[in-house]
Amino acid sequence: MKEAGRSVPTEPANHAQPAPSEAPQRRKPRISETPPLAPPPPNLADYEAIIGKSQLDELRFLASTLRGKTVKMVNSTALGGGVAEMLNRLVPLLGELEVKTGWEVITGGNDFFEVTKAFHNALHGGEYTLTQEARDVFMLHTEQNRQRMSFDEDFIVIHDPQPAGLVASRNRDSNRWVWRCHIDLSNPNSDVWNFLRPMVERYDSAIFSSPAFARRLAIPQALFYPCIDPLSEKNKELDERCIQEVCDNFGVDRSRPIVTQISRFDRLKDPVGVVRACKMAKKYVDFQLVLAGGSASDDPEGAVVLREVMEAADEDPDIIILDLPPWSALEINALQRASTIIIQKSLKEGFGLTVTEGLWKGKPTIASAVGGIPAQVIDKLTGVLVHSVEGCAYQIRYLLTHPDFGLQLGRNGREHVKENFLMTTNVRRWLLLLLRILSEA
Amino acid sequence: MNPVTDATTRAASAPFEFKSAAHLLFIEREQASTLVEFLEALRTCPEGSIFQHTFRTLEEHHFIKEGFSNDFAHWAYTDLNLVGLGERLASVDVREFTSLSSLRSRLIHTVEDFMGQNPNVHERRAENPFYFCSSKTVVLPTQLTASDLAEFIEGLKQVSVHSIHYHFIEARLRRHFESNDFSIWLERKLKLTRPASRLNHIDIYTSTLEGVRRKIVQILEDATD
Repeated sequence: MKEAGRSVPTEPANHAQPAPSEAPQRRKPRISETPPLAPPPPNLADYEAIIGKSQLDELRFLASTLRGKTVKMVNSTALGGGVAEMLNRLVPLLGELEVKTGWEVITGGNDFFEVTKAFHNALHGGEYTLTQEARDVFMLHTEQNRQRMSFDEDFIVIHDPQPAGLVASRNRDSNRWVWRCHIDLSNPNSDVWNFLRPMVERYDSAIFSSPAFARRLAIPQALFYPCIDPLSEKNKELDERCIQEVCDNFGVDRSRPIVTQISRFDRLKDPVGVVRACKMAKKYVDFQLVLAGGSASDDPEGAVVLREVMEAADEDPDIIILDLPPWSALEINALQRASTIIIQKSLKEGFGLTVTEGLWKGKPTIASAVGGIPAQVIDKLTGVLVHSVEGCAYQIRYLLTHPDFGLQLGRNGREHVKENFLMTTNVRRWLLLLLRILSEA
Repeated sequence: MNPVTDATTRAASAPFEFKSAAHLLFIEREQASTLVEFLEALRTCPEGSIFQHTFRTLEEHHFIKEGFSNDFAHWAYTDLNLVGLGERLASVDVREFTSLSSLRSRLIHTVEDFMGQNPNVHERRAENPFYFCSSKTVVLPTQLTASDLAEFIEGLKQVSVHSIHYHFIEARLRRHFESNDFSIWLERKLKLTRPASRLNHIDIYTSTLEGVRRKIVQILEDATD
């Protein structure tokens, strides 16, 4: 029996139900209950097949001018989150280019991380009253980390606000400091920002992910777009058998069009709006909708949103809702690659790396014109921008009935990512920035 | 002497050294939400911003051959919903300019002219602000050089699109001359005047940069026939 319009909970592989005879019956999918072992990171040479020899040579030349220089990256967590994921790739690649790069993580008690979590939310515009106690906790742990760590490298790169105060250790003549801000500072709580700003302005340079996320500062501000790694589990090429296996596992019928939104069950991602758009479009075109994401099991609000989505789906057998564990990168990759169209109908968004992932896979993408999405989706050229449920519904109909246009969007979208949003582009940006700072020193 | 062999293997009086360029993007102070603010920012922004939003955007979007000319036109069209201004700004052809100051003047004149004819849209608010960025360029050597036409064609096939942009599009700002590095070398060092001239007629706005590369190679291969 199909589990129509229902969340499909994942089940450990060793407890999987036997496969029903007639595929694609939806059933409890086999997925590991623990994270799989991480594959070894790729080497620089592995990227040649993607960006070409000439661009790899350009990276090597840039790095040669920095050979012998040392870099230290500092952030607040070694595991989980986009920054750690990015550093896991960036640090070995810079090392392979003979720019010796280390990575250290600050420490702190629960009190420190409670304060920095509150700062994080306040810098995103949330209500917050900055107390003297919070300032003291922040400064105390900053001081402890300063005492514990050394900063002898040529370049010190501090990621995000948590370790920003380490800049007090800088010796203006001996090395250069860069603050890499990964969060949106467009509308920060003024107390928290005024507390952090004097620290930030002691750096040589800041880096933001979008011009819209930046603040006016007395130091130069570079623009580094977030990026994806084309060789990661989530983005690497997959063989047909693997894609088919994942689709069979989740009961997705590849003989019919597939429209997919990958995102956690969060109101800001508007999954209910996606269901509504699909119901409108399905009056005219046949397809399945896949809504795949996570956070429903450990996030109370996520569980509420998941229920709302299931209610909106109303047992429709063509709406497949997948609540996936965080280590489902390969499954997400396969679902994206099996899709005819990718949707990201967010109401608010940071940069929207799920959009980048869809574009990289050459999929025609329908996305809301919010946050960093318009930098990726240039309307009608690299994808389609929408502003409403109705607009989304229309574009699904249009793209499903005009596959040539979708093909062209997909081709352009992939090139856009290749040029601007790949890990190798970011390695080049880092090398250029360090060179620039060095030449100005 | 066989004319084909002659054109292909005639030694150049000096080799062509293929280079490339990498660009680092900075966020500048200027931003605009109305035409009045936009005009003021056009006047005060660094030249690196004019370069970034015209020459460089062509490179960043080198794979698109329709509907995209420069960031200013795109913003006027999509965020200010001023189609007429978008069209006029899009028609500004970077190849007509050998300095960023003259390009800036043309952009300012275009916006002033439009505002003069459309006083009711001066304060119209854009859906999203225009954020002025600028780029700093680092010139990169490649290992490719050419001493004759055959080697030159081979080099053209191998270099990155960034190299094509550097030599074929950005060159006029460096040389202050309405041409490009390829044509100048072909004409001066190989005396290939006609193909050198034909290269300057390739439409960079209706081709991708890969398409531009193919057209250059085609013109030069035709010259060897």
